[in-house]
Amino acid sequence: MKRLNVVLVSLALLCLMLPITAQPARETSTKAVTLTMGSWRTDDVEQMNRLLSEYKKIAPDVTIRFQPTNPPDYNATLRLQLDSNTGPDLMYARSYGAGLELFNAGYFADCTDIPGLMDNFSASNLAPWQTADGRMFAVPFAAVSHGVYYNKDIFRKEGLGIPNTWEDFLALCTTLKSRGYTPLANGLADEWDILETFFFGLLPNYVGTADQRVRYESGELKLNDRNFVAAYQAMADVAQFCPRGFESVTYNDSQVLFNSQRAVMFVDGSWTAGVYKDASFEWGIFAIPAPKGKHTAICFHPDMAITMNTKTKHPEEAKAFLAWLCTEQGATTASKNLPSGYFPMIKFPIKLENLHANEFLALNAGKETDARFVWPKLMHLYAPMNQAVIRVMKGQISAQAAADSVQALR
Amino acid sequence: MQASLKRANKHIVSHIVLVTWSLIVLFPLWTLVINSFKTRLTIYDNPFWIPKTWNFSNYQTVIRDGDFLTYFKNSFIVVSASLLLVTFFASLAAYALARYKNRFAQACYFFFIAGMMVPIKIASIKLLELIRALGLLNTIWALPPIYVAMGLPVGIFILTAFIKDLPEELYEAALIDGSSSWNIYRQIVLPLVRPALASTAIYNLIPFWNDLWFPLIFINEEKEKTLLLGVTRLFGQYQTDWSRVLAVLTLSAIPVLLLYLAMSSQFIKGVTSGSVKG
Amino acid sequence: MRNHRTHHLVWLLYLAPALIMYSLFMAYPLLDSLRLSFFTGNNPATRVYVGFGNFEKLFTDPQISQRYWSAFFNTWVFFLIHLVVQNGLGILFAVMLTFDTMKARHVYQTIIFIPTTFAVLITGYLWKLMLNPVWSGDFFVSIGLPFLRHPWLGDTKTALIAVSLVSCWQWLGIPTMMFVAALRNISVELLEAALLEGAGNCKTFFLIKLPLIKPVVGIIAVLTFVNNFNAFDIVFAMTNVNGAPEYATDLIGTLFYRYGIAGQHPIGIPDAGLGSAIAVITLLLLLCVVIPTLKKTQKGGA
Repeated sequence: MKRLNVVLVSLALLCLMLPITAQPARETSTKAVTLTMGSWRTDDVEQMNRLLSEYKKIAPDVTIRFQPTNPPDYNATLRLQLDSNTGPDLMYARSYGAGLELFNAGYFADCTDIPGLMDNFSASNLAPWQTADGRMFAVPFAAVSHGVYYNKDIFRKEGLGIPNTWEDFLALCTTLKSRGYTPLANGLADEWDILETFFFGLLPNYVGTADQRVRYESGELKLNDRNFVAAYQAMADVAQFCPRGFESVTYNDSQVLFNSQRAVMFVDGSWTAGVYKDASFEWGIFAIPAPKGKHTAICFHPDMAITMNTKTKHPEEAKAFLAWLCTEQGATTASKNLPSGYFPMIKFPIKLENLHANEFLALNAGKETDARFVWPKLMHLYAPMNQAVIRVMKGQISAQAAADSVQALR
Repeated sequence: MQASLKRANKHIVSHIVLVTWSLIVLFPLWTLVINSFKTRLTIYDNPFWIPKTWNFSNYQTVIRDGDFLTYFKNSFIVVSASLLLVTFFASLAAYALARYKNRFAQACYFFFIAGMMVPIKIASIKLLELIRALGLLNTIWALPPIYVAMGLPVGIFILTAFIKDLPEELYEAALIDGSSSWNIYRQIVLPLVRPALASTAIYNLIPFWNDLWFPLIFINEEKEKTLLLGVTRLFGQYQTDWSRVLAVLTLSAIPVLLLYLAMSSQFIKGVTSGSVKG
Repeated sequence: MRNHRTHHLVWLLYLAPALIMYSLFMAYPLLDSLRLSFFTGNNPATRVYVGFGNFEKLFTDPQISQRYWSAFFNTWVFFLIHLVVQNGLGILFAVMLTFDTMKARHVYQTIIFIPTTFAVLITGYLWKLMLNPVWSGDFFVSIGLPFLRHPWLGDTKTALIAVSLVSCWQWLGIPTMMFVAALRNISVELLEAALLEGAGNCKTFFLIKLPLIKPVVGIIAVLTFVNNFNAFDIVFAMTNVNGAPEYATDLIGTLFYRYGIAGQHPIGIPDAGLGSAIAVITLLLLLCVVIPTLKKTQKGGA
């Protein structure tokens, strides 16, 4: 009898371990539907919730929950979820290769037939989320830009103006430094920021935009040609203007340095514009100028698109949301609620309310734009290029050596 | 005399060393707490001194923010369940291993003890597949099985040694009475090994509560996150409010710290019993 | 009297829960990782057998092997610093705490153990902030220690050491307490006899105490080794998963995470076969070091 007790108790305990999956069971009520949306934008919870509640006014039966993931883990955790069928119904898709891979693995739905998609976006805006045979795997949502944030008050005080050439920019920094300021707030500790915002931001000035980029991608032009070396050299030249101990300065520190006026300028992406909205000083943005004789180009990077999960239990509702994003009305509402520093990619002219956002967008006028250099076809060079930029800024290698190291891995 | 003077001297040196180290321990903790009462920008002004104005909003926001409490609840459930199961299963197995003497038992014992030296993290990839197959992925119940497996080696090590030490006479008396093994276990052994059960629980408490790795790879659903994993969400890629983060970190550290301060001698006994028995 | 067979059955039942959990969630995955390392791909459905291909890739592919050996080297440095600082100081503090006329030892013990109760993440982030010259630099200058103002975590020469020292700071409590317990086990008569013979503290330590606590020294060294070769949290918190700056703080633990679980930022596509290969090599290494060490230091076997 006692032995039986032992057996029963042990079994009972083992049963405790079995899936007590009393976890978020999908509501199978007939009318109201809840969709989940995954994203890496943990900073945008407020705005996205506003946008999604706007959508709810149009489709009252559908509630969309915004559930972002800590960015460095987004890809890994998204995969995890998709592999185990617990993925969100809608999700952000990264552009080019990273997103394409998930489409090829069968997770993203084919979006080509969504009404308005092919018509309302320009070809270059569709390209980042298009397969080689022209199918779309996501609806373009927002692009970001890169530029130089600058402290207008300090500029005024020191009688300085926006530089038009790279040489002017360096001279400006030298002047600021001699007067005791820290010209730039950029640092190296987080690694990705110096590459994505600064290096890729100025690269189009040296190597050109899309039509040139494809020549590099095909191997016609080498990644250690004169233009590239000049770009690495430019990075080496600005290292002295970064804060003391900039090797340890994190992205967050840089923002604080700029925000507390301890640094005069900060080369950053447009997405940070919202951080400074309550700044105690006046600030503006200018484009990273090209060296004399070259044209200034802007790195306007298609960043986010939204797509739907092939295995979603509510394909109709998900599709409806995506279609709404392709309409003028939907896109306008979305733009109003985009976090500041994100720009709509739809064809219709949309005026943003935020002054600074418009300032950013205005930088594009009369200039060529391109996505970040490695994104379309050369992602495997992201890490080596990152290390090359860091080392050249620390003065460990020459610009030529930096360029050579990347070309060697091509 | 010479010897005692010498000894008194050494102690001064010892005291100096230990006090210095104590400061090295306490200074960062001081920094942690005072800065949680500052704001995002002001923590850069005077990092190591008390705030000019005490800002309680970090704590208020964190506590009011439903998610923090959810994370706390999840950690609590996971750790409690894991500790309960580990101590129970380990005591059962230790009872068997201590009393059942033959080659199979010996082999089992070494099988379990080997786990003390091998970190379970190595098997993460397969564990991921396993948990996924069991349908536990993305839920808090993915964690207890792992933690139990992790904690069994030490538990069995501690408990087997303890039970082995119990005097033979206890069993003889019980057997004469005709008690079954289960009764012996329940009525005699269990009450006597309470200290060892406590040691097992305490030894495993810290790694279970403070684990980041497994929640990181198993859980993404907000509502299922454990405390530490939830904290990492506060680190947005683009914006980090350090004063808020420090407030959360302080709150996360408090439970175990309080438990420790209340039971410091048991804690220490628990942790050291892993090595010094036998 | 029960017959022999049911006797066995009953014992097995007691063993069953532990055996099942342990086998299913520890032994089986570990052994299966061995198997996984001979395949490629992440999806069980599309796996391809590649023999030793993953191991070859690990050691011959120029980029991957460079990362591997660099992480391997870094982890050894990490471990050696722990051996000297964490365990060395541990013994030192333990000896001090066990002087019989030592006052306030309970207070010291309690304080020494506090960092160990914190999560590694917490101490990692805390120290990251404190070592950041933007944050603490001015303070150090103002108290007359300008040389402390340095990008400790940004300089490839100092980053690994900084991370290792913080990790030592975190874990010091455990060896200290274990050594205290071990030292307390030494019979008082032995120590008194030594004192009577005129042995000073140093002699007593090296000739009596140290040899007697050798088993514990061995166990702690082994536990330190095992923990260090899987360390991940501290680097995750203080620098980043890549082991910045320039992979200087990349350990085997972070390498494994990057290749086997999360993939390289920003693409994020892992290679489970390669990750398993790394895990297998680590396991072999652990066995090669742990077993001889235990044999040598334990009295007459484990």
